[in-house]
Amino acid sequence: MHEDLLQRCVDEALKLGASYAEARFHRRSGSSIFTRNGELVGYGESIREGVGIRVVVNGALGFSASNSINWESLREAVAEAVKLASAHAKLMKRPIEFSDARLGKAKYEALCLKPLDSMGPEEKIAVLAEIWERAKTAVKQTKLMTLTAQYSEDVEEKTVVNSDGALIVSRVPRVTVSYNFVLLHPQKGTLQRRFEFGGSGGLEQLGKWKPAEHAEEEVVKLEKVLLEGVEPPKEPVDVIVGSEIVGLIVHESCGHPSEADRILGREAAQAGMSFIKPGMLGQRIGSEHATVIDDPTIPGSYGFYLYDDEGVPARARYLYKNGIINEHLHNRWTAKLFGVESNAAARAMDHDSEPIIRMANTYFAPGDYTFEELVEDVKLGVYMRSYMEWNIDDIRWGQRYVGLEAYLIEKGEITKPVRNPALEITTGAFYSKVDAAGKELRFYPGMCGKGEPSQGVPVWFGGPDVRLRSVKLGVVA
Amino acid sequence: MAERVSVLAERLVDEALRRGFEEAAALVGRTKAVMVKMFNSEISVVQRWSSLAISLYLAKEGRILMTTIHPSGAEKAGALIERAIKVAPQLRPSMLYAPLPEPARVERLEGLVDSAVVNAMSDPEPLAEAMLAEVGSLGVERAAGAITLSFAEKGLATSKGVKLEEEATGIEAYLRAFIGEASGQWSVGSRRLRVEDLKRVARTAAELASQAKGEAKQVEPGAYDVVLSPMVVGNLMNLVGMMASALAVMMGNSIFARVEPGSKVAAEKFTLVDDPRTPELLGSTAFDDEGLPTASKPIIEGGVLRTLLHNSKTAAKMQAKSTGNAGWLFPHTWTLSVKPGDAALDEMIREVKRGVIITNNWYTRLQNYVEGIFSTIARDAAFYVENGEIKHPVTRIRIADRLPKLLSNIELLGKELYDISWWEVSPAVRAPYILARQINISRPFE
Repeated sequence: MHEDLLQRCVDEALKLGASYAEARFHRRSGSSIFTRNGELVGYGESIREGVGIRVVVNGALGFSASNSINWESLREAVAEAVKLASAHAKLMKRPIEFSDARLGKAKYEALCLKPLDSMGPEEKIAVLAEIWERAKTAVKQTKLMTLTAQYSEDVEEKTVVNSDGALIVSRVPRVTVSYNFVLLHPQKGTLQRRFEFGGSGGLEQLGKWKPAEHAEEEVVKLEKVLLEGVEPPKEPVDVIVGSEIVGLIVHESCGHPSEADRILGREAAQAGMSFIKPGMLGQRIGSEHATVIDDPTIPGSYGFYLYDDEGVPARARYLYKNGIINEHLHNRWTAKLFGVESNAAARAMDHDSEPIIRMANTYFAPGDYTFEELVEDVKLGVYMRSYMEWNIDDIRWGQRYVGLEAYLIEKGEITKPVRNPALEITTGAFYSKVDAAGKELRFYPGMCGKGEPSQGVPVWFGGPDVRLRSVKLGVVA
Repeated sequence: MAERVSVLAERLVDEALRRGFEEAAALVGRTKAVMVKMFNSEISVVQRWSSLAISLYLAKEGRILMTTIHPSGAEKAGALIERAIKVAPQLRPSMLYAPLPEPARVERLEGLVDSAVVNAMSDPEPLAEAMLAEVGSLGVERAAGAITLSFAEKGLATSKGVKLEEEATGIEAYLRAFIGEASGQWSVGSRRLRVEDLKRVARTAAELASQAKGEAKQVEPGAYDVVLSPMVVGNLMNLVGMMASALAVMMGNSIFARVEPGSKVAAEKFTLVDDPRTPELLGSTAFDDEGLPTASKPIIEGGVLRTLLHNSKTAAKMQAKSTGNAGWLFPHTWTLSVKPGDAALDEMIREVKRGVIITNNWYTRLQNYVEGIFSTIARDAAFYVENGEIKHPVTRIRIADRLPKLLSNIELLGKELYDISWWEVSPAVRAPYILARQINISRPFE
């Protein structure tokens, strides 16, 4: 779509003195439905479209965007980007250069088995209403204070043309369903759970997710945690970290610190920096069980793409491999500085945003343990299955995850529920203490934030359940 | 010449009515913005945007549809309305439906546009150079940050006859300064550009980095008095402000979900104001998305919850009056002010027997919104204080406690106010330093 117009933008930028130029038509269109306690609150639709222009002039970067897709406006945007770059070129100490890359000319789309418009809004509302119905009937000894549920769909269409020969046309539809509920008990207080399903593709995913059934199971299990949960043990114990938390941990403490722009300091005042410094490839970060992969090409994934926004073909990136820092996430600029090839991590949220280095689908590589095998030789421990509160410091070293559904493990068996255990641990300690990983790999969707203005891009994070030996847990105040 | 935003809004409302909607509102924003991003004490990218955003509220028989478009041309909005009228019968009536309000007198807010911002937009690099020069002269080894300048036109029309327009400029600037491993960060957000404010941001960041030099130590987990900088107060007040939205309360995402207005929710000295009618504050505006006049009013006054934030829909649902905070569905703050106290920062520190000073934070996340169980991580300069004296920098700590307890344990508020806006503080907040007693501090065990 718009290839000729985009090529004209690129040619114009080169004519005006750019050494590199890129024009990206980017369209996001979608709808969302929001319900509370089974009732519709509102229905929304949105469309964002336009063209983002990025140029390098005399070693400086300029970006401008316009949502008027006609030559007159785009020529102005090109001139603007060139002018912006030229104006600060004199201030550049280290001119921007891009690594050589084998760029693609390709067209691809994520397949929808069941198109997004094959169900009307009415049926989609019914999916959300059922979440409330099932959850409400599952509550026995507490009150379901409130349950909100949201459905959203989004189609991302892009055409990327650049002066190094790339032409990538793509279309990726995505669907998410999320719910958030609060259980209330007069003496025990409240407990809150939020959960989200998400992936690329069509409405066939709803059948796989079964969100109402999921919510019902959560209500039953979490009611027990609220009513019967005990404090976690005070002494160091073995901890089985559930895949939902493992996925978040690897996203935060492997994926983010592996972003090469962050390693170089480009995001220092916003999303922060990295404990990984240039030259740390090959250093040990964890046990041999610690392998973390980021792979944009997983079919059906929320972070799916086959070419990045610089036209570089995507592939799986082994960020930590058997406990060793193995590879960073690169765009063509950082690849040049690190003397490697780009591994296709450049992505922009929308036409208004410059492509920056992003994760796609980051996961802890599964091992060969069943869940029972992970549990059976734990004398005293805690299994943390889900979480709500979490955070990590800006070099991605000190992190905290507070368990929501959690259980005591005694003599190799899951016994009673545990309330709010806090896993507060450094990145080094987490990866070093992993002594076993489960065989079942699960993924969870998320919207990852980075950049200025902040760009939210869809990602999956995943992993199996993993076991940590001898960890001290905190107690929520 | 581009069509005026209020005229475009009115045209879209007319079109929606003509196509069969009973009610409509259109909010049109035309924005020009430029951002200079810096890192390693140089400019990493300069970006410029010119955008048109159209939001439509459409209602028929109690069914509510909302659309947001950043269209390549206004005619695309028409196509969306045409589509929406077909979707409407497939929806259920909204549990939140109430008619759009009748027009009320909106007093224009003077001073929202500063020509200095508009002038600087064509050549913003000197502002970045001024900030970098300031920190360079103070021994900073490298600095990162961003300056954003904007000029926005906002036009609103509703089927009740509202037709309003407003123009406003904005500046947000922040800088993070590094000396070795030590860092300091500060920010400013305003409708007005004063180069001196930007230099002060740079100086404060540099001074904090300089104070944080030396070996940062860990502190043992436990209860400490905490001195929170306006950067941290701003971040936490964003959370309190969000929770004051009546819809957040209905969604179970608020510490006010089980509290009635009139209840004590904070220390007596604490007053938090939703402050849209102070024109220099970034976020100030004369009217809300339903066309009702905004008002600067306390959310919490003297420690007492005065009001939730309402639009006419949540107000109808909760037997209250709109507070001029629409959002068509989600009422929200415009910009926040914390009322100052009378303490100087050094007096505040002298009051601390065993405590920490946290000058910046991020990643505030909650285990439970109703109970306000949260943690947030300190970043940049943080210090351990004993018997009224700063002893050493500290690292890798977080506040892990309950928001209601933090609000109740506020003991002192600074007399100087700072206008803060950055990645972790949005909308902008005008805030002083505060001292809160006995707040739980945690850190990684290993």
